[in-house]
Amino acid sequence: MNWQRYQNELIVLMAFMFMFMGYLYKHTQVSSQKESVVESKLALEEIKEVVALKKIWSNKKTTQKINKLQTLIPENKMKWSKKSKKVTASYTGLNDKELNTLVTKILNLPIVIKTLQIKNVASSYDVEFKCQW
Amino acid sequence: MGNSKELILIHTSMDEVTLSYDVNVMLTPQFYTLKREPLPVQYAYQAKRIAPSLFEGLLEEGKSYEYMVWKEEEEWVFLAYDLEMITAFLEHKGFALEHISKLFFAQQSADLFTAPLLLNSNEALVSLDNVIVVVPKVALGENEGPSLPFDKRFTPKKGIMLKSAYGSILTVRQTAVLASIFGLMALMFFIEGSRYSGNSKAIQVQMEEILEAYPSLSSKYTRDSIVSKYKTLDSAERKKRETIKTLAGMIFKGVTLNSFEMNEQKFSVHFSCKDAQAFKRVKALAKKNKFNTVNVSRGHDLKIEGTL
Repeated sequence: MNWQRYQNELIVLMAFMFMFMGYLYKHTQVSSQKESVVESKLALEEIKEVVALKKIWSNKKTTQKINKLQTLIPENKMKWSKKSKKVTASYTGLNDKELNTLVTKILNLPIVIKTLQIKNVASSYDVEFKCQW
Repeated sequence: MGNSKELILIHTSMDEVTLSYDVNVMLTPQFYTLKREPLPVQYAYQAKRIAPSLFEGLLEEGKSYEYMVWKEEEEWVFLAYDLEMITAFLEHKGFALEHISKLFFAQQSADLFTAPLLLNSNEALVSLDNVIVVVPKVALGENEGPSLPFDKRFTPKKGIMLKSAYGSILTVRQTAVLASIFGLMALMFFIEGSRYSGNSKAIQVQMEEILEAYPSLSSKYTRDSIVSKYKTLDSAERKKRETIKTLAGMIFKGVTLNSFEMNEQKFSVHFSCKDAQAFKRVKALAKKNKFNTVNVSRGHDLKIEGTL
């Protein structure tokens, strides 16, 4: 077969192949980049999540924040026991406002609530609370 | 080079040939029509565009003519030829078209026809006023010398690529246009493709910054272990807090909290309601939040229980 006879078609075919290669290159790049972007994003999200979780649950300032629970309620209404990273506290005779303040504070602290007991005793409240961090 | 191949003169009375190699051919005026015009155009493509109108009435109708144009001093030389007729003649004479590299016209080498060139015993090719014509041999007169030797010296610079002309479906122009379009698109694809490689760099930079601050997190194993440890803790503690907040939302006018107890597995709360309406409302809220409710025998009291 005389290829020269079809040189125009060959030139067009080669140009087309070149374009096709370009398309494949682009397609491969897009696919691999999409994959790697998704992977990177996932890894980044995971790292961010780990960092966020660590910041919340492994915060060195948590101890200081816990200690503030002692100052919220007058001392005569409270018994406080702290061992290492565990606290057992009992409050007696709390009025509505004090109970609300205490519970809100507890809920906002990054601690593991072991037990929380509230009892209504003649229009005031007794609270038993155990936590660790 | 154009003149590296053998050049064969083609005329109507020529003998049949058998070829197994590539040659160039030169056509006598029997295969083309010549016209000279002093036109006020500068470029050959402009002259070529008006060529069909110049030959109006000179050419046979119903045939497809092509044109060759070049400038000689102040005049434009126009050649009209029927490629179909030429190729048919060449094939008839035994030429394999794939062995014909280029077609030339005798007029292109008019300067070299310094003497008559005998085509056969009756006809000769001569240059008259720089126009190549076929004349009867008798018109040459008796003083004429021997026939001009014809060889590849006569090969002009510009010829017609017969191979592409007869073999290709696409013309040179179409080829150029298509190849340019494909080439351009290929270039665009390559550029676009290379751009994608830079897209994830921003994420990489952000990741590097975080890993620099927390080098221990560079290991996926460590990350997974931290995530599993804290996620369990986080979800359990969030649930406790959400439950407390939901239960707190059930305390409104007419509802009093009697007792509440929560540990790591379950919770229970005891509400005292002032009347049946408040009782119903609390019960409905508990149901809405999918808590278990237990009626306490005393008045409108309600106990809500659940697991964490």
